Amino acid sequence: MNRLLLFVIMVVCIVFDGCKHYSPPGPPTTGEIYRPVYAPYADVRTVQTLAPQPLKNAGKIYVKDNYLFINEVGSGIHVIDNSDPQNPVKLSFISIPGNHELSVKDSTLYADNVLDLVALNIADPRNVRLVKRIENAFEYSAYPLATNVRFECADRDRGVVIRWEKASIENPQCYR
Amino acid sequence: MKSTLYVLLTLVVLMACEKGSSDSMSPGAGVGGSTARFTISGNTLYTVSNTALQTYDISASDNPKKGANVSLGFGVETIFPYRNNLFIGTQTGMFIYDIVQPGSPKQVSLYTHIQSCDPVVAQGNYAYVTLRSGTTCRNTAFNSLDVVDISNLSSPKLLRSYPMKNPHGLGVDGTFLFVGEGDYGLRVMDISDPTSVREIQYFDSVKAYDVIPTQKRLIVTGPDGIYQYGYADRTQLKLLSKIAVAP
Repeated sequence: MNRLLLFVIMVVCIVFDGCKHYSPPGPPTTGEIYRPVYAPYADVRTVQTLAPQPLKNAGKIYVKDNYLFINEVGSGIHVIDNSDPQNPVKLSFISIPGNHELSVKDSTLYADNVLDLVALNIADPRNVRLVKRIENAFEYSAYPLATNVRFECADRDRGVVIRWEKASIENPQCYR
Repeated sequence: MKSTLYVLLTLVVLMACEKGSSDSMSPGAGVGGSTARFTISGNTLYTVSNTALQTYDISASDNPKKGANVSLGFGVETIFPYRNNLFIGTQTGMFIYDIVQPGSPKQVSLYTHIQSCDPVVAQGNYAYVTLRSGTTCRNTAFNSLDVVDISNLSSPKLLRSYPMKNPHGLGVDGTFLFVGEGDYGLRVMDISDPTSVREIQYFDSVKAYDVIPTQKRLIVTGPDGIYQYGYADRTQLKLLSKIAVAP
């Protein structure tokens, strides 16, 4: 009986001792530190047609009939009349916060608007209309694109993460 | 009489498909680049996140309906439709999905390669995959163009690998293969014989991230802007226009 008790105590000691020494692998100590930049949900859930804008940071491209669509990384889509490829003409800019992707069927353009999928009627590219919004179609951005970095954890109650910026924060709690 | 009409109609539809370009199966839809995460096949919009494939029924194009979600693991980057399949590029390989039932994609195979960034396009019996190094690609040195034999979709096999500098997007049309080499330029290749891909032209002054070849016109996107070329002439590209980025 005593032996059994001793054995149980030994096992308990070993297990608890093991716990005391266990620690998760530490975050990388080198590399950059990021923090999320938030926007209120209501502010980003807006789509507007604007006059043609200068091309700054060209992203994905898409061709449909005589139209060429050029994504402006993170902010919307340039609509180009490309009937004469020697002389493409900018028709309008569709402002879509957080936009990176697009596809077109008939006269409907599908785009990501931060967390949502939006369907836009582009029959008149100078007067684009929102026809459907599917909320939370995409995952909440919980981490920056870069790897081996530490960052301030994203908090969905504070809004939508529209981008990640480099920052000097003491002891950020998240890393990847 | 009616049945003859149906047979004729079916023949016309089948003949339309014979052209074999990726967009011919999706009347009413446009064409995207190889780095796209959205694509349309038939009446379905497919989107890929970092981890999953999502379907949307767009039979009524102005009323997309959210459909099935298929988990794909990690590092998913691109999606390309070809005939009844989706080719999905991930950081560790290429998935081939069957979309005969458009709303419920089924995995046919997974072709694995070293970890890298890798869009994929397909034509005929071959898939063309570029592997690129870079900090977010978890690959420090390896850059190549891999030609993969997909004559048996359930068992893709590497046919040949060609060294590249830093390939991003790529596009295929007939015997032409265009590769955007990022800051290193634009490569025009002849793929008449996929076991012996030949370079036709190499522009080192054009920074190219992704390309769309369509109707003998090539559209190139890069950090300096959008270039359009004609390639009706088989020996050299002809610059048609450039939409420059604002200084």
